[in-house]
Amino acid sequence: MTPAFERLQQHLKQLPGVGFRSAERIALHLLVEKPAKLATLVQALEEAARSVRRCTRCGNLAEGDRCAICADERRDHRIVCVVEHVPDLVALERSGAYRGGYHVLHGKLSPIHGVGPGDLNLAPLLQRVQAGEVRELILALSNDVEGEATCHYLTQHLPPDGAVKVTRIGFGLPSGGGVLYADSVTLKSALDARREYS
Amino acid sequence: MRLRRITLQHFRNIAFAELAFTGGQQFFVGANGQGKTNLLEAAGFVSALRSFRTADTRVLIAHGQPEAAVACDFEHERFGATRLVIKLRPGGKEVWCDGEKITRLGDYLGRFPTVVFSSQDQQLVRGSPGLRRRWLDFTLAAMDGGYLQALQAYHRALTGRNALLKRGAPGGELEAFERPLAAAAAELQAGREAGVTGLAAHVAAAYARIAGEAEKAGVRLVPDVTAENAVAWSGLFAKNRGRDQQWRTTVAGPHRDDLIFTLEERPARDFGSEGQQRSLVLALRLAQVSFFRERSGVEPLLLADDVLGELDPGRRRRFWSSLGSERQVIATGTSLPDAELGAWEVFAVTGGSFQKTGGGPTADHAVTTGPHEF
Repeated sequence: MTPAFERLQQHLKQLPGVGFRSAERIALHLLVEKPAKLATLVQALEEAARSVRRCTRCGNLAEGDRCAICADERRDHRIVCVVEHVPDLVALERSGAYRGGYHVLHGKLSPIHGVGPGDLNLAPLLQRVQAGEVRELILALSNDVEGEATCHYLTQHLPPDGAVKVTRIGFGLPSGGGVLYADSVTLKSALDARREYS
Repeated sequence: MRLRRITLQHFRNIAFAELAFTGGQQFFVGANGQGKTNLLEAAGFVSALRSFRTADTRVLIAHGQPEAAVACDFEHERFGATRLVIKLRPGGKEVWCDGEKITRLGDYLGRFPTVVFSSQDQQLVRGSPGLRRRWLDFTLAAMDGGYLQALQAYHRALTGRNALLKRGAPGGELEAFERPLAAAAAELQAGREAGVTGLAAHVAAAYARIAGEAEKAGVRLVPDVTAENAVAWSGLFAKNRGRDQQWRTTVAGPHRDDLIFTLEERPARDFGSEGQQRSLVLALRLAQVSFFRERSGVEPLLLADDVLGELDPGRRRRFWSSLGSERQVIATGTSLPDAELGAWEVFAVTGGSFQKTGGGPTADHAVTTGPHEF
C-alpha cells in the first residue's frame, strides 16, 4: 500500500462503525474498483457540508434556516417532542403517528462522558417555551438513568406556572408481542403505564 | 442441573481439556498452582458470566492467546440437555445457549445457578461490608431481573452524581441525577429488605443442619440510611447535597448498606467462636443453594474450592450429609477426600492438564487433548 492510501484508510477508519478492514475495502473500492464513483462522492460530500446544518429552531437537519418539519405549517408546532438524536426523530416520523414539532437535544446529560447541559441543544427549546410557543412537551428521551436525569433537568428549567404540559412517552410491550416473551422489567413498566380500557 | 461435560480452551493455564462427568461428584486433586481452581472458576462462570475470583475477564485468557472458550453440556431441569458456549475476548464475552446468542444478561441470569464454597468465604463474616453487599447483591440479582436492573441503575446514577460532585457541578445538575438515583435506591432497598427476610430462613435452617447445635443463626440488613419511598430518597439526597459537595462524593446511600450475621441475635463477628463462624460461612453458602433452588426450580451446581480439608471431621460429615445425594458437587483439594464421603470421580491435575485416576467408569472420551471446534 502507498502512503496516500494508508492516510485515506486512517481517515475512513475514524468514521463510526468502520473498522480497519472495512476502511481498506472502501478505499480500494473507491480508488481501484470503481474510481468513477469517487468524483460524485466527493461532490456530494462537499455539497452536503456546505448546505446541511442544524435547524435554528429545533436542531433537526436543515438546508436553510428552518428544517422541513418546522417549515410545515400544517403541523401543530405547539406540541414539541423532545428527542436525543436526529435518528430518533426519523424513527418517530416513520411511524406516521405524530403531527407535532420536534426538538433535538443532540445528546443527553452524561457526567461519566463529560456531557453537561452546555453541550446540549437546550437554550433554543427554553426560549420557545418562554416565548409561549409551546403547549405540550413530549419527553421521548431514552428510558435509562441519563435519559431520566435529562428529562428532570429540562423540567426544572420550565416556568413553574404549569403553562406547559409535560408528558413522557410510554415504555412497555412491543406491538404484536405477547406477554409471554417480554422480560420482567419490561412487563413491570408496562403494568406501571397501564391505562383505562375503553 | 448436572454438568455432564466441560470443555476448556486457553482458559488461564489450561490449554485444552475436555472432561466428561458420569457420576454426581467429582474431585480434582493436585498440588497448588496446577489449575484445580481454574477449572472450578470456569464452571462457576456460567452462573452470572463473571468469575468468582476476579472482575477482570482478560486475566482468564491464557497468555498470548486471542480468546478463551468454555463449553458446558448440562442436564437441566427446565431445558433438558443444554449446551452453553462462552467465548472470552479482551474486549468482552459472548454466550450461546443451544446455539442462540444471549444478548441480555437479565434474561440469562438464574438459568444456570452455581454456588462456590471457597476458603476465602471466612471474609464474609469478618471482612469489609463490601464483601457482604456483593454476596447479597449477587444472590438476589441472580434470581430477580428487576433487582439487577435497580442495582445497575443505582450504580450508574451514583457514578454520574459522583462525577458531578468531583467536578464541582452546580446543584441543578446534581438534582437531575438525584431523581433516577432516588428511584433506584427505593427499589434496591425494598428488594434487599425482602430478599434478606427470605434468605434469613434459609440461613437459620442451614446452620442448624451443619452446626448441630442449638443456637439460632440469622441475618439482618443494616441500612446505611433509610427512606420511605422514592420521593423521600430524593429529599434525603437533596438534604445531603451540601455535605456531599464538600466531600466530593455521595456519602450516604444503599451503596453503604451492610449485613449483620447473628447467632442468638448477637453479631457472630464479635461473639461467634472460630468454629461457629466456620459453620456460619458454610450455612451462608448452603442458604444460597436452597434459595436458588426455591426461586428458580433448578438444583444449583456446587463448587467447593479447597474447603473440605479445612473442616474438622464432625463438621465435614454434617456438611456433607446436608448436601444430599441429588446435587452435583465438584471439589478440589491437595489430598483425596475421606472414603466415608462417598464415591468421587477423581481427576489428577498437573500443569493445567487433567488425568482421570479413579471412580466411576473410565469412558473413552473422559479425557482428551487436541484441537477442538466450538
